[in-house]
Amino acid sequence: MLKKAKRLAVLTGCLSLSLVCFAYGEEPEHETLVIDLDNPCGVLVHPETGKVYTASKLGVHCYTPADHKAVFEVSEFPEDIYGKGPKYDIGPLGLGLLNNEHLVVGDGSRPDGEELVRVYKLDGKKKSEGDAVYTLGPITAGEKSAKGEGNFYGVAVNESAIFVTCNGDDTKGWVSKADIVDGKPQELVPFIATKEATGTDAPVAITFTPDGSELVIGQMGEMNVANDSLLTFYDPGTGELKRSLKTELSDIAGLAYSPQTGKLYAVDFSWVDSTKGGLFELAVDGETVNATKIMSLDKPTSLAFDKEGQLYLTQFGSEVPEGAESAGSLIRVEPGL
Amino acid sequence: MKKTIFAFSTSILVMGGFSFLLADEPAVPFGLPALEHPEDNPPTPEKIELGKLLYFDPRLSRNNDISCATCHDPNKGWSNGEPNAAGFEGKRGDRNSPTVINSAYYTTQFWDGRAATLEHQALGPIANPIEMNMSLDEAIGRIQKSKGYQERFQQVFGSEPSPELVAKAIAAFERTVLSGNAPYDKYVAGDETAMSESAVRGWKLFKGAANCSACHSGANFTDNAFHNIGVGVKDGKNTDVGRFAVSNLEGDTGAFKTPTLREIARTGPYMHNGSMETLEEVVQHYNKGGNANPYLDEEIFELGLSEQDIADLVTFMKEGLSSEDYPLVEAPTDLPD
Repeated sequence: MLKKAKRLAVLTGCLSLSLVCFAYGEEPEHETLVIDLDNPCGVLVHPETGKVYTASKLGVHCYTPADHKAVFEVSEFPEDIYGKGPKYDIGPLGLGLLNNEHLVVGDGSRPDGEELVRVYKLDGKKKSEGDAVYTLGPITAGEKSAKGEGNFYGVAVNESAIFVTCNGDDTKGWVSKADIVDGKPQELVPFIATKEATGTDAPVAITFTPDGSELVIGQMGEMNVANDSLLTFYDPGTGELKRSLKTELSDIAGLAYSPQTGKLYAVDFSWVDSTKGGLFELAVDGETVNATKIMSLDKPTSLAFDKEGQLYLTQFGSEVPEGAESAGSLIRVEPGL
Repeated sequence: MKKTIFAFSTSILVMGGFSFLLADEPAVPFGLPALEHPEDNPPTPEKIELGKLLYFDPRLSRNNDISCATCHDPNKGWSNGEPNAAGFEGKRGDRNSPTVINSAYYTTQFWDGRAATLEHQALGPIANPIEMNMSLDEAIGRIQKSKGYQERFQQVFGSEPSPELVAKAIAAFERTVLSGNAPYDKYVAGDETAMSESAVRGWKLFKGAANCSACHSGANFTDNAFHNIGVGVKDGKNTDVGRFAVSNLEGDTGAFKTPTLREIARTGPYMHNGSMETLEEVVQHYNKGGNANPYLDEEIFELGLSEQDIADLVTFMKEGLSSEDYPLVEAPTDLPD
């Protein structure tokens, strides 16, 4: 693992736009910032520092745009396997911010019923998994979950609580919640049984509406079924389902609103046919969602805007670049979306 | 395929479990969602009647002895009561005849989902050499010789019989084979007397400790997805590749579509290969965690159910999901000349 950690590669040539800036047809201008990420699943942009955090199998990395360097923030997570074929090794998954000083990490590196949500202080020091200042969970097997919850894929935080999507137990499809009291997160508890509310599996993507009034959750649906993802809206205070809308996307893995335009964007992993994956704009018109493909991506997993409107995306990828060991990457899309 | 959603739900007033049909549309039983019909195959009473005639007509088989109803018999749960139905000259396949009940809601047809719609499905058995064993040209030739069918096709479609139109008519008829308004529907609508105490306990187990609703979810008790539940496993290997043959995804090996549980008391024997005679056997299978194989779904694990739990689950399925409005359709007494 240490050897692998040292191999985390930054595409050093990306400052030269002629080399690494791509624009395919109508696709927005974008560039690959970091390669050799091993199954990255989460991305977060710190609103004050502009640093970009990504979660991959090996841990949490921090990319600093100013000097174009990426380093480990947290490492030494265990590993788990997702899927039956294809199979993917996974580690930490979702990322969120608590008080701008603490990083919330939803984990996927253990079996369901044992997984944790960790909170780390952003102190500039490299940390190990166990160096968390708060550890939330696990949600063990019991009345609310026959086998226990896990695969904490998405994290969203407001002033009241940390919300975590759980892609482990398909019976309830929980979104879990840890209330925040005096700045400290409390116990992680199952909050919204999304499968009972919508009839569809796998809450994965999560964000808030721009005004913070609604929790927006992408219900991934079944991996081996195409076009079954839902876009859903909940009251974050009560957990009441407000709307559940079909999207015709297959596996929504990330959701984010553009700070510039207020438009909603999603990434679709598209498990059954990865050639159909990509970045989509989701325009909600009453009970209808019009999904417009913005750019093709290779198994995209997460997205986040910075305050200037730059969009950061992670993808698993398929082709391992020369000199690298993993196909995953971090991509930046120019403002305008 | 674009679909027209017929707003059955708006044309029906639901009061205390009773439905009042206000529009001249096929009724959807209480507890089921609005039906979606293909835009190019809207239902009409005449088309449905034509589809019914074709469904029961053995002239679509080589030896004039097998109709759709032979293997999907309304008197046998729209299946046929055998593990594997006998087709042309007594030949049998490896898979159980799936019930037609509520197949209108499936997002794919056949155990492996190889047909996208009922229209695509309808012609498959006619041409299958171990089922009806008729080329479509020959089958249509027989229909075209019938003056009665000629007149009906002209009336319904304004056209000569063709494979496409035969499929449309049969599919339109099959979309009327619906079961809802069961004790379960009344119970979840608020009538606490609609199910026995044992059935209520079974329902709670169903969506809780027994983990059934991980796959048997929603109004039709199916997630429309494909799962390897450890059936048809010999020496640790799957004897039927199932969905893999369609998707080519390794993880789909030995996976089959989740069937509806509506009218399950009538549709045995159970599982894709008809290998289980009773629902008690089925629940025992899940209770032991299925049969181990490399592609066993992660939702299949030892449940630790008691004998009472198993009895309650079976009671729920038999009692709670059997409608007093079972869609019994009598075979036509006079087929077209």
